[in-house]
Amino acid sequence: MSAAAPKEKPSTNPILWVARPMATAARQFAKSLIRPSTIVYPFERLEDPKFREEVAVAAGKPLGVGAVWDNYRGVHALNIATCISCNLCAFSCPDVCIQMVAVPDAQTKRLKKCPEIDYGKCSYCGFCSDACPEGCLTMTTRYELSATKRADMIYSPEKLYEVFQRKLPMNPIRLERPKNEDAILLDAPLCIGCNACARDCPTQCITMLDIPKPTPKPGEKLPRRIWKEPVVNDSDCVRCGTCISVCPKECLFWGTHT
Amino acid sequence: MTVTLYSVAQSIAQAILGAIASVLPPAGRGVASAPVVTGLAVLLFAAILLVASMLNTIVLIWFERKLLGRFMDRRGAMHVGFAGILQNFADGLKLARKDTVRPREADTLGFWTGPTAYLVTSLILFGILPVSSGWNSGVLPLSLLLALAIFSFAPLFIFVSAWSSNNKYSLMGGMRSAAQMIAYEVPLLLSVVAVVLVSGSFDLTTIVEQQQNYWYGGPLLLALIVFVAAMLAEMERIPFDLPEAEAELVEGWNTEYGGMLFAFFMLSDYVRALVGSYLVVLLFLGGWTMPTWVPSTLTSFPLAGIVWFMIKTYIVFGVFVWVRAALPRVRTDQLLRVGWNRMIPLALLSVVLAAGVVYAKCLPVFGCVPGLGG
Amino acid sequence: MSEMWINMGPQHPMTHGLWNLRVKIDGELIVDADPEMGYLHRGIEKISEDRHYNEVVTLMDRCCYVAGMSWEHLYILASEQALSIAPPERAEYIRTMADEFQRLGSHLMWYAAFVQDLGLMSPFLYGMRDRDLILDLFQSFTGARMTYEYMRVGGVRNDLPPGFTDRARKVMDWLVDRFREYDALCLGSDIFRKRCDGLGVLSQAQCVELGVTGPMLRSAGSSRDLRKDRPYSAYDRLEFDVARADAGDVTARYLVRMEEMRQSVRIVRQILDWLDTHPGPVMAERVPRWLGAPYAPIGREDYLLKRRYPKGVGFSAIEEPHGEAQAYVVNEGGEHPYRVKFRSPVFANLSAAKHYLVGYHVADIPPIMGSVDICVGECDR
Repeated sequence: MSAAAPKEKPSTNPILWVARPMATAARQFAKSLIRPSTIVYPFERLEDPKFREEVAVAAGKPLGVGAVWDNYRGVHALNIATCISCNLCAFSCPDVCIQMVAVPDAQTKRLKKCPEIDYGKCSYCGFCSDACPEGCLTMTTRYELSATKRADMIYSPEKLYEVFQRKLPMNPIRLERPKNEDAILLDAPLCIGCNACARDCPTQCITMLDIPKPTPKPGEKLPRRIWKEPVVNDSDCVRCGTCISVCPKECLFWGTHT
Repeated sequence: MTVTLYSVAQSIAQAILGAIASVLPPAGRGVASAPVVTGLAVLLFAAILLVASMLNTIVLIWFERKLLGRFMDRRGAMHVGFAGILQNFADGLKLARKDTVRPREADTLGFWTGPTAYLVTSLILFGILPVSSGWNSGVLPLSLLLALAIFSFAPLFIFVSAWSSNNKYSLMGGMRSAAQMIAYEVPLLLSVVAVVLVSGSFDLTTIVEQQQNYWYGGPLLLALIVFVAAMLAEMERIPFDLPEAEAELVEGWNTEYGGMLFAFFMLSDYVRALVGSYLVVLLFLGGWTMPTWVPSTLTSFPLAGIVWFMIKTYIVFGVFVWVRAALPRVRTDQLLRVGWNRMIPLALLSVVLAAGVVYAKCLPVFGCVPGLGG
Repeated sequence: MSEMWINMGPQHPMTHGLWNLRVKIDGELIVDADPEMGYLHRGIEKISEDRHYNEVVTLMDRCCYVAGMSWEHLYILASEQALSIAPPERAEYIRTMADEFQRLGSHLMWYAAFVQDLGLMSPFLYGMRDRDLILDLFQSFTGARMTYEYMRVGGVRNDLPPGFTDRARKVMDWLVDRFREYDALCLGSDIFRKRCDGLGVLSQAQCVELGVTGPMLRSAGSSRDLRKDRPYSAYDRLEFDVARADAGDVTARYLVRMEEMRQSVRIVRQILDWLDTHPGPVMAERVPRWLGAPYAPIGREDYLLKRRYPKGVGFSAIEEPHGEAQAYVVNEGGEHPYRVKFRSPVFANLSAAKHYLVGYHVADIPPIMGSVDICVGECDR
């Protein structure tokens, strides 16, 4: 393809000085008389298909343009019951607006950590809901968010749960997990078998297996440790890295199974 | 048919004073005497005229907002009152509540008198222009001349307020405004001369009444076009709104004004827009005279003339709004060049054409119209 | 009247953003001009050094608020080169389509702002109304209207929703009709032509010397377009012409942008046809865990990653709606880019203000600056 021939003269030229723009404005006026393209916002809403189509038909616009409204990234909804407190949402937040706070679980009545979101900082990038392995933190179509106090902009997990209970359309997009995922590997000689990783693992996918206690050679002092080693069940692991962060000996690390 | 505004005011005054006199002791009965009634009637007349004209202006602003909204594929004001008709009252109240901030370096006298005098001189025009027979302040043989003379006060006050606000944008806007108004004053007056030539009168009532059979806008089409274009420039509306071209001069000569003084400017602009539309209707479109095919039951209705006049006025203003919706603003030098090089020759040509019309007044084309040529 | 400096900005109706144009005027004539930028500097390049590769995308949307997708694309192209990752073909096509949508959106925004500077209020609203359809399209596949966060290293976040291509086709048909209306309102108006013809002329040699790129350069007779000259993503597989005019004035810039919009529609239509027939993955297979959706790196592992991941540098240059944008990303092996540097076309185009303003009238400033198409967000970054 070659570049287009230089366009010296524009295709449209004035007729009778201003006849063309006047005619265009008049045509638009005639169209708008039936119904202008604007939506009377608090009374009519774009997410309501009725109004969207009404406007589209009246204005001659292509129909159903914003039809996938469910896709919208608005206020989050949190299902506390399925939250596993993995911290991934908080870690993935570029604005550091998510904090994990303790709330009582509905069923077990035990405290567990769930995300609390500060909408004064949130940029609605959706990384948190993308990161959520259980699909319990999703983004809804709710976009009206105003408060008179800054504290009201901080949504506690209970408040996010209320949003969830409203059954708003949820963002339907679920991302697939990358296939060649890295795994949690163990630097075995460093491990002291302390059980911290297994205790804190949100999915309980780490089991401590006994390892044989070696017989010490004469004069050799055995390391002071519990003779157990963590084994990670890769299919259950959500790769949140909690085990790595709680390991006191830094013996867990990311790697690939060879 | 011949209900005049003054007679209405007089009867109201008589009723009020009569009521007062009936409750007063006999010594005070003199309040209902003829001179007092006349005095009160004049005051009432002025008050009715002012309030009605202001209301009309505010409705005009609403009309522009709604019409412009539809041109722009939106709705315009719509929430306050029916279809947003009270929106401008709300805006006015808001502006009235606001403080007027005067820049420290501004000249106090000019800063305050500029907008006030601008508004006052614009409002005076309502007392001069008749909206129907008998609905003005009496017989003024030179009412057209007087109206145009008062109409052309504006550049002075605009320039005073622009200069005294001590702002570079204001100053440039004021100078543009002065240059533009003076340049367009000439074609405006020349195109009026065409009308005066044909009608042979400076009295607006006479001019209107002579258009009973045909509108001057027909034979004097050129004068009408020149007049409308010059009037657009005088009213400082798009495409000739460069004194307040907000793109480069922020808000032109009213940059430094806020609160009620800004409201004065806004109101005066629309008063002048209304007056401009009045003049177009009066001079070229037959004023309040009804076409002959309208049944007499309608024409004999007391306010029929005014309604007919207002319909025409709003249509003329609608054309101004249409122009505003479709055209960009021109540049200062282009405006002045068009004014001096195109408008004035065209206006002169229209005067010549008018002379031709007067000469050919009994040509069968126009019919032998009584009153043509004075 | 003697010569005086006036400040047009930082808060002025003409500026369309936070910058200041100081002009020295003699009456209504401009004798000197001095653009001042930097009011909107947010240190995006520096913040990027403290963000993971994918998180920088959120900053790119805020970098230019009318062409966020183009800047995402720019950054992602450089990062992918730095990290030696190649996106799948479908992702490339989707990116190209998003880029062209963004060009349409940005040009419509430019049209609206430009005509409004001339005092034309109704086309302003027409432009914004039609841009809204583009935003609707964006929303339907990215989930947001202005801050998309759509592109990722190694692909795009998600595939298009079902029925998207049909909707997009309808929008394209609608837009083509509207372009005719725009031309009638602008080119068909004698006043517009009088205001814009022969204004703000910049010759091709001057453009090259001053680093002025994009539609401004093409309006001066050059046919340089990175989509042709240095094809990226899927542009080498698509058919389109380079919009070009010769006069170098405001009208020429208008013509170039309008023609570019038409070409964008043409490109988008081709891409939509391709996308209908070529399903496939939209993320690359081999993306490190801490880069690919949906995870972010966690914990104290970065020193391990440093050891594992190859270093590299990436450079990309794309034809952004405003001109040629360039990005340079240095990957020192960590989870954050070591250094990110952008070249903003608007900065160069604005800096040349003196050369296309002096000698014209004060009333010419809005059309001339409007024809430059300013986005201060990317200019100051």
